[in-house]
Amino acid sequence: MIPALLVATGVLIPLLYLAIRAAEADWAVSADLIFRYRNLILLKNTVMLTAGVLITTTLIAAPLAWLTVRTDIAGKKVLTLLSVLPLAIPGYILAYALLGFGGANGTASLLLGIEIPRLSGFWGSLVAISLYTYPYMYLNLRSGLLGLDPSVEEAARSLGMSSAGVYRRIVLPQLRPAFLAGVLIIGLYVLGDFGAVSLMRFETFSYALFLQYSASYDRIYAAWLALMLLSITATILFAEYRLLRGKLFHRAGTGTARNIRISKLRWKVYPAYAGVALLMFCAIVIPVGTILYWMGRSLDSSIWNGLTNVLAMSVSASAPAAILTAMLAVPLAYISVRFPSPVSRGLERIAYFGYATPPLALALAFVFFSLNSFPILYQTMTLLVLAYSLHFLAEAIGPVRSALYQASPRIEEAARSLGHPPFQAFLNSTFPLLKNGIIAGAALVFLSCMKELPITFLLSPVGFETLALNVWSFSNEAMFAEAAPFALTILIFSSIFMGILFSREWSRT
Amino acid sequence: MEQNMSNCLLRVHGLTKQFSPAGEKVVNDVSFSVAQNEIFAILGPSGCGKTTTLRIMAGFERVDSGSVELKNRVIECQHTSISADKRGIGFVFQEYALFPHLDVRQNVGFGLNKLESKERNKRIDEMLELTGLGAFSHRKPHELSGGQQQRVALARALAPMPQIIFLDEPFSNLDAVMRQTTRNEIRTILKKAGISAVLVTHDQEEALSFADRIAVMNSGRIEQIGTPEEVYYTPRTEFVALFLGRTNVLKARAQGMEAYTDLGELMINRPASGEIKLSIRPEHLTLERATERNCNGLCGTILTREFKGHDITYRVKLRNGECLVHTDNRMPFTSGDSVVVKPLEPAVVLEV
Amino acid sequence: MKKTLLIIGLVAVGLFMVYNNRSTADLILYSGRSKALVDPIIERFEQETGLRVEVRYGGTTQLAVALMEEGVRTPADVFWAQDAGALGALSQSGMFRTLPDDIIQMVPYRYASAQNLWVATSGRARVMAYSTTRVNPENLPSSIFDLTNDRWAGRIAWAPTNGSFQAFVSAMLQEYGPQTTREWLEGVKNNGAKNYANNNAILQGIASGETDLGITNHYYLLRSRVGDPRFPVENAFFRDGDIGNMINIAGVGITTASQRTEAAETFIRFLLHEETQRWFTEETFEYATAGLSGTEIRTAYELSPEIDLGSLDNLQETLNLLREAGLL
Repeated sequence: MIPALLVATGVLIPLLYLAIRAAEADWAVSADLIFRYRNLILLKNTVMLTAGVLITTTLIAAPLAWLTVRTDIAGKKVLTLLSVLPLAIPGYILAYALLGFGGANGTASLLLGIEIPRLSGFWGSLVAISLYTYPYMYLNLRSGLLGLDPSVEEAARSLGMSSAGVYRRIVLPQLRPAFLAGVLIIGLYVLGDFGAVSLMRFETFSYALFLQYSASYDRIYAAWLALMLLSITATILFAEYRLLRGKLFHRAGTGTARNIRISKLRWKVYPAYAGVALLMFCAIVIPVGTILYWMGRSLDSSIWNGLTNVLAMSVSASAPAAILTAMLAVPLAYISVRFPSPVSRGLERIAYFGYATPPLALALAFVFFSLNSFPILYQTMTLLVLAYSLHFLAEAIGPVRSALYQASPRIEEAARSLGHPPFQAFLNSTFPLLKNGIIAGAALVFLSCMKELPITFLLSPVGFETLALNVWSFSNEAMFAEAAPFALTILIFSSIFMGILFSREWSRT
Repeated sequence: MEQNMSNCLLRVHGLTKQFSPAGEKVVNDVSFSVAQNEIFAILGPSGCGKTTTLRIMAGFERVDSGSVELKNRVIECQHTSISADKRGIGFVFQEYALFPHLDVRQNVGFGLNKLESKERNKRIDEMLELTGLGAFSHRKPHELSGGQQQRVALARALAPMPQIIFLDEPFSNLDAVMRQTTRNEIRTILKKAGISAVLVTHDQEEALSFADRIAVMNSGRIEQIGTPEEVYYTPRTEFVALFLGRTNVLKARAQGMEAYTDLGELMINRPASGEIKLSIRPEHLTLERATERNCNGLCGTILTREFKGHDITYRVKLRNGECLVHTDNRMPFTSGDSVVVKPLEPAVVLEV
Repeated sequence: MKKTLLIIGLVAVGLFMVYNNRSTADLILYSGRSKALVDPIIERFEQETGLRVEVRYGGTTQLAVALMEEGVRTPADVFWAQDAGALGALSQSGMFRTLPDDIIQMVPYRYASAQNLWVATSGRARVMAYSTTRVNPENLPSSIFDLTNDRWAGRIAWAPTNGSFQAFVSAMLQEYGPQTTREWLEGVKNNGAKNYANNNAILQGIASGETDLGITNHYYLLRSRVGDPRFPVENAFFRDGDIGNMINIAGVGITTASQRTEAAETFIRFLLHEETQRWFTEETFEYATAGLSGTEIRTAYELSPEIDLGSLDNLQETLNLLREAGLL
């Protein structure tokens, strides 16, 4: 309970900060700011983009999950790994790469000799964000599919239901919790992300918020925009709570070793491979190719200097953040699963608030509060790691919760009856069973931290730098060749990391 | 109902529990006691509150009122609750709840963490030997059969030498043959180790064959406590009579030690008068072929015949209803035969 | 289990060690300029003076906002901003202390704050970038006000959210007043100008054929050419003194909270030193501000309008104008 309350406090800090800043405005001015027409356009754009991304990611992730779990397609492991690889690619890199791909002077026409239209605006944002967020949906649907009890489907078949009917009436409804978990994490991500929207020039709330800071150093209107953005988040979370009655947080399932019904693809395997190839081309080949292209333009080998040092610094912040986040996710998930009540569910949802708070606003809030209450923490690794954790907590909660649903409460009671006091009983019985969930959650957070920018900018110790920071810094100055090695390192390191994760899962089965 | 025993180990008094303030009482004024070295069973249909009673005694649920005493020490009442890990009660769960990440040895040794490793290993070996698991000591739970898992769960619960062990439907996941042998094995083990036990089950046969005494529970209340023979042959209520195997419940008009029923005049087990209900087990009835002489208006017709090898159960149509009769296989009636039903024992008067 | 605990323990110790030895530097610099543009200079400065500098990199905006949030508690001694707007905003909120006269006198008066709160370290000119394949240089507009002309309908690119652009609009506002500026903004917008996120995107847009003209900073083209010498874009100035030729600057100020002003001043003097200034010209393709060497730099300076960069801190009005014009 205590860690849960700490998390809640931590996540509410930005909210309090924004309220303080927003309250500094003249009421007449702020009324002007809130009720102007432009906000409606921002709202429309934000909603459109969020809905568009959700639809697109589902259209990408659902067939992909089915293909890699329920069909006889060859090379499933490689496909699975490739499918989550975009998680390792920073969003702004993908956006840059997509921006530079089309057009008369784009990489497509330079390298491949084909001229395709340049992506920008709504469609550009939609494609870019979808391409790097669909893995969240994929991972959820995949574990949902793996967790299904095949005997239920067999029962349905034996009752005379057709194969398509089984999918429509048995499989899809059972996948709903996994699907909704994906919807929530992606939807909230889209609300807070401004990397892609600013590059693609599409005006959403987060973009307007970013502009407000950068154009006018205006913390007041920015605070208002952030609060408006967060009220959208609150609406979504509230709607989920009221309309779905917490169905979202029901068992999402993780992999089981049971025999799953496999569909034979036959000739359909070719269009399947073609579809996957197209996706991989857009999500991986274009950004990686662009990075390599940038590198190729540089003849200077000194760009590799200092890379290991920066990599070490990146990891030294991301790894503790990943571990801490997973550890914070455990008590939150635990109380919401074991003691379901409006209070415990509310606490868990608060984590999603931290996720949807635009990182720049979150970072400024931490600057403000640490200087006013714990100046000794300011610009220390501790604060940086803490801020990362509170921001990315939502990514870790899902996998931990699924693992928790699979661990029977009886096991802990057994430990109690064998003389272990409550905490020790949890540690010795339930905790080991959460291992895979915790590792999966930590991995997602780790990947996110490796790519993070605004929080790193403001809260890291002086002299601290990360790979992502270097990528941003160089590409901002149009020094793409210099940015490339750092981008590539993020990519390679994150991929190796994910490879290890999946090999753990596969070695179990 | 409560027995006064000098060697009483566990005493439960007036246990009451509601899960929501407006809801039903899941456990309603339950009292019983368990003696040293006794195997006690709580028998009842699912949802009767038996598992909740067990979980309250084990410390997994809090009680609303009433008390649980272990060795004359209150371990659970409205005001105090000794933590589950300090009660010294072993618990075997229905689904065993083995630690999937630990092997058999580690599972069995889980409750022995306070012992030195030498002593600990010795105890684990003893337990593995007792339960015949020596050959599987390094297997993980998922590599064991249901019966083996069951024995690991028992060995794990017994290892810390608890004063008493609770068994929550421990045999329900086993197939019929396994169930019987495992049951016998475990009863032997418990008796050998001199450990008391409380078994919760919905299977009357299991309760009857496993326990020294049985409490029959219905809708949160205990209806009867007694030895297997007592609850079987002299059920106190219609529920107990019906729940423990097949029986014939008859409406009767009693006077003294006799009662008039559809089967004719029956002897009853205690004096009664007026409109009452009786129970008479099918095996306490027998059949005779109807003849002019013995059929004084109380004969019936065989409806169905259920051949079970060593015995036969007949459903007999009477003038005002039906009854079940259990005979040995030397009475080959077929359906349609006219018979006369004869009692072999007095019928049991049921409380209303 | 034990392994996990071990890892957590190690991490905790590691964390402690990291923040235990922080801030042994003689000078802390917040740099809105990229690491690539700053690191080599810091290295040389440390070699020459023996002072140890620690740099916190970030976006100019983010650091400026963070500085305001930090206020008097800031650990920073010096802030190096990429544009005059941020310097103006920080001056306005009292974050900078007065610089000594000798530093101010190292640059032309236009390149320092009127209150002596900051000084420019390098400059960049606003120029017109155009496609060499689709625009004849002889037909280029001679004034930025000509961009409202039909001839350029749908052919112009700008970056209304970019700091340099906003600084330029502030300058126009100051010189010509709100009426003219609004008319110009709306005129260009209605002329079908395309909005881009930044200057680099503008150049990419011109090269890829999305647009023909772009108002941008001079050096983006020069940097693009390093990688691709045949990049099909060229720069041009408007006529002499046109507001469109404005020179914006990167500059530094010392925070009021700084306890190490001497080291801070040494650092600024180093930035304005001839060698450092030459490095800016040769390596980052910017213009020197102290000692205007080289003909191109002199030309740009002479063509640029007479503007008080110190007043570009008045961004609020600019932003209001941009908002009213529907550009923000």
